[in-house]
Amino acid sequence: MLADLIESLAKIVFIFTVNVGVFAPILGWVERKQSAVMQDRIGANRADILGFTAIGLFHSLADALKLLTKEDFVPANANKFFHTLAPFIALVPAIAAFAIIPFGGRYELFGHEINLVIADLDVGILYVFALAGLATYGTVLAGWSSRSNWSLLGGLRASAQMLSYEVAMGFSIIGIIIVYGSLRLTDIGAMQEDFFRWGIFLQPVGFIIYMTCAIAENKRIPFDIPEAESELVAGYFTEYSGMKFVMFWMAEFLEMVTISAIVTTLFFGAWHIPFVTDAMLLSWFQFAGPNGAAALAMLVNIVVFFTKVSFFIWLQMTIRWTLPRFRYDQVMRMCWKMLLPLSLINLSITGLVVLLL
Amino acid sequence: MAEISKDLHTEHMVINMGPSHPVTHGTVKFLATLEGETIVDLDVEIGYLHRGFEKMCENSTWQQVIPYTDRLNYVSPLINNTGYALAVEKLLGIDVPERCKYLRVIACELSRLSDHLTNVAAAGLELGAFTAFLYFVEARELVWDLIESLCGARVTVNYVRIGGLKNDLPERFEEKVRYVFKEVRRLWVDVDKLLTKNRIFIDRVRGVGAISAEEAIAYGFTGPCLRACGVPYDVRKAQPYLVYDRMDFEVPIGETGDNYDKYLVRMEEIQQSMRIVEQALAQMPDGPINVRLPQVRMEPKEKIYSRIDSLIYHFKTVIEGIKPPPGEVYLAVEGGNGELGFYLVSDGSGKPYKCRVRPPCFALTAAMPRLVKGRLLADIVPTFDMINMIGGECDR
Amino acid sequence: MSTTTGLGQTPYSVQVGIPAATLKAKRVRRRLDLTLWERLYVAEIVRGLVVTSKHFFINMIGFIFPPAGKKRKVFTVYYPEEKLELPPAYRGRPVLVADADGTEKCVACGLCEKMCPAHAISIVAAEKAPGERYPARYTLDLGRCVYCGYCEEVCPTEAIVMSDEYQGLAQRDRNRLRFEKEQLLRPEAKVKTRLYYVRRIYSKWNY
Repeated sequence: MLADLIESLAKIVFIFTVNVGVFAPILGWVERKQSAVMQDRIGANRADILGFTAIGLFHSLADALKLLTKEDFVPANANKFFHTLAPFIALVPAIAAFAIIPFGGRYELFGHEINLVIADLDVGILYVFALAGLATYGTVLAGWSSRSNWSLLGGLRASAQMLSYEVAMGFSIIGIIIVYGSLRLTDIGAMQEDFFRWGIFLQPVGFIIYMTCAIAENKRIPFDIPEAESELVAGYFTEYSGMKFVMFWMAEFLEMVTISAIVTTLFFGAWHIPFVTDAMLLSWFQFAGPNGAAALAMLVNIVVFFTKVSFFIWLQMTIRWTLPRFRYDQVMRMCWKMLLPLSLINLSITGLVVLLL
Repeated sequence: MAEISKDLHTEHMVINMGPSHPVTHGTVKFLATLEGETIVDLDVEIGYLHRGFEKMCENSTWQQVIPYTDRLNYVSPLINNTGYALAVEKLLGIDVPERCKYLRVIACELSRLSDHLTNVAAAGLELGAFTAFLYFVEARELVWDLIESLCGARVTVNYVRIGGLKNDLPERFEEKVRYVFKEVRRLWVDVDKLLTKNRIFIDRVRGVGAISAEEAIAYGFTGPCLRACGVPYDVRKAQPYLVYDRMDFEVPIGETGDNYDKYLVRMEEIQQSMRIVEQALAQMPDGPINVRLPQVRMEPKEKIYSRIDSLIYHFKTVIEGIKPPPGEVYLAVEGGNGELGFYLVSDGSGKPYKCRVRPPCFALTAAMPRLVKGRLLADIVPTFDMINMIGGECDR
Repeated sequence: MSTTTGLGQTPYSVQVGIPAATLKAKRVRRRLDLTLWERLYVAEIVRGLVVTSKHFFINMIGFIFPPAGKKRKVFTVYYPEEKLELPPAYRGRPVLVADADGTEKCVACGLCEKMCPAHAISIVAAEKAPGERYPARYTLDLGRCVYCGYCEEVCPTEAIVMSDEYQGLAQRDRNRLRFEKEQLLRPEAKVKTRLYYVRRIYSKWNY
């Protein structure tokens, strides 16, 4: 009982630290530096502490300090309760979605079975969709409660966009669920031990549709109409400053991490190295004894998982800085007239194939 | 659907995309009357950059106007300089030496490169393709480095003089041109791959802002926007000035006049401008670059230091200004945006009586309401980009 | 050459009087035959990603193994640690040239004052001995100066040149931007390169 509690707490602390403590500030730095290197420039690297610049990592700290010390205001006549609540509603699902992501397999450590996932829910992937649905509220409330023309336009666009793409996203995932026959993410991850049973080979179209819908949910370019910087000043978070703005911004980055994690789990083999099974992995570390081997195997799993997650974050950032953005009606047309029929066709073909095989 | 909208009580929303807006590059105010997201009416207000160019010209000597012309179309200043100098020379009835003509052609085409690079870059920026913007800005930096080595400043060049030029080519200019054009072509290929066949970009700009050729001519369009409508009119071919009749270049023509055609026309003109510069450098003869008329163009410094008549001419032309015979002249050159015309009236004194500039983008901005009416709010962005309204030129 | 247009309306032709051989019109490739992959957005997106990724990896490697002669592959010049190399033609701040005994070469002829398009210069002339003019007051308002180079061009005694100074030009008070003669003087040795350049471009062999 106590061991379970310690285990859960350890996992929660680990994920929270990695996400909010490591990924969120690092992603800000990565965005600046990656976009800079892609565009033939150096990027921000002047913030220093006592003369050490640390290639620009201190800019994240400087950003955090600056935004903490900004005046926190609510626009006049705005709905104060919702204005303050909106960033929280946007941020919490992004962090909480990580509860069901498995970042390693099942191992026995000191006689105790550890499953490297915070909550091994039966309904796995549906939990993520439920949270994504909640995240929509954050954006819409932000746009509506700010009492500004521009924010309202941004919030309206965001609501329509996010709702539509959730539908398409759901349909694209059903294909994977049919193929693997389970909603639990740990099961899906475990089933991808064999390299040729990775989701990308079984459901390539599903991957593309899911990736597109997820980027649209996250409101990144090419779907960043709600916050189109050049059209609507800053869209739905025009009237936010200070920590609330940080929360929206962090929510966007953390959702990028979540998307990458889900894509890795469902399509790219979760924590597995290609052509290396769990037994092989444990056998490599036999020299450290059974507990040591389990610990080292867990470490390897975590490292591999986060490497894959980092690759997809890099991919999303590259997409952001390469492509122009869609017009609003083209976004909606793409969802309802292209992605949804495509995902339904994918679903039917998958179902047919699974039935016949 | 129509019955439903009759029952709904809707109001038109008036949105002000004011003089300073992230997307309107240039100071111009749009009052857009929206129904939902569709534009019902658009009201364009210009004049936020009016600095009184024509009035200032009336108080300055003919030579002092040249730095003012730099600031008309400030992304292609050498074209403005050349246009003004050619107009005054027509008034005076003088002809410049051959080498000077070739050098002016090189200067104009380098400026045109800078103009088109800036425009396509800004279009990419405002549509969200930040990387395409920065690639073309890097290309523009290299072209500006060339111009800086030529005359000392990147934007406020003050290079062309009435009756000649300020100075000849610097050392190893052709080497630098070769290097810069290699880099510009490389970046052009990159941006072409990023934008031209990109379905997202095409969806944003194709079919948007289309205008028929007759309407375009009725509005007074010239330049890339008119050529995008299918009308094959280029001042460099219709009324060749300088040595353009000896240059072998093609004029890109579009079809429907929408933003995609304007973009394609400009991209192709970048390539053609580079061709012209290379040809001019190859064909350029040696010789003087200024006319030998002391009452029009300053003489070499050796003469001014040593001869009294040169010194007197120098003092008189600086203090009183050169004195073209009374009369009026209109001369047009092909600017980055179209036909840049100078209408000069001289009353025989050293200061212009009137110096009117025909700005090419004035007519283009006037057609903005016609181009975006009935389309979505987000269509103002690429349409206004590709019109390339330069505040300094439109408002003078 | 005439072209007929009509987006569904009654077409009538537009006459433009340039012979086709002179015009050399080139139709832009508007009707792109997009393949199925391109129409599905995917091919071009992948091509765009390849372009930017190529820049990304070449630049990243260029940080570790810089190309010959440069510190890094990216285009940035890391100002203020590294500075750009200015061409000899560069027009910086105007300065007055002082000859060997420290007095200005300027004879207060007033040409630069008359020529300046921004009316930034104002001179009060005086005479030391009969025939030896000098400026009692020479004020150059750097707030008005547009760095056009006309003063350098018209000066008959090579007394004012555009140096290559571009730093330290900002002041906190507009009145302190009006520089007097003492602040503008530079010894001749310091502006030697510019003087040689000016003599070269305005000499009769380059003219």
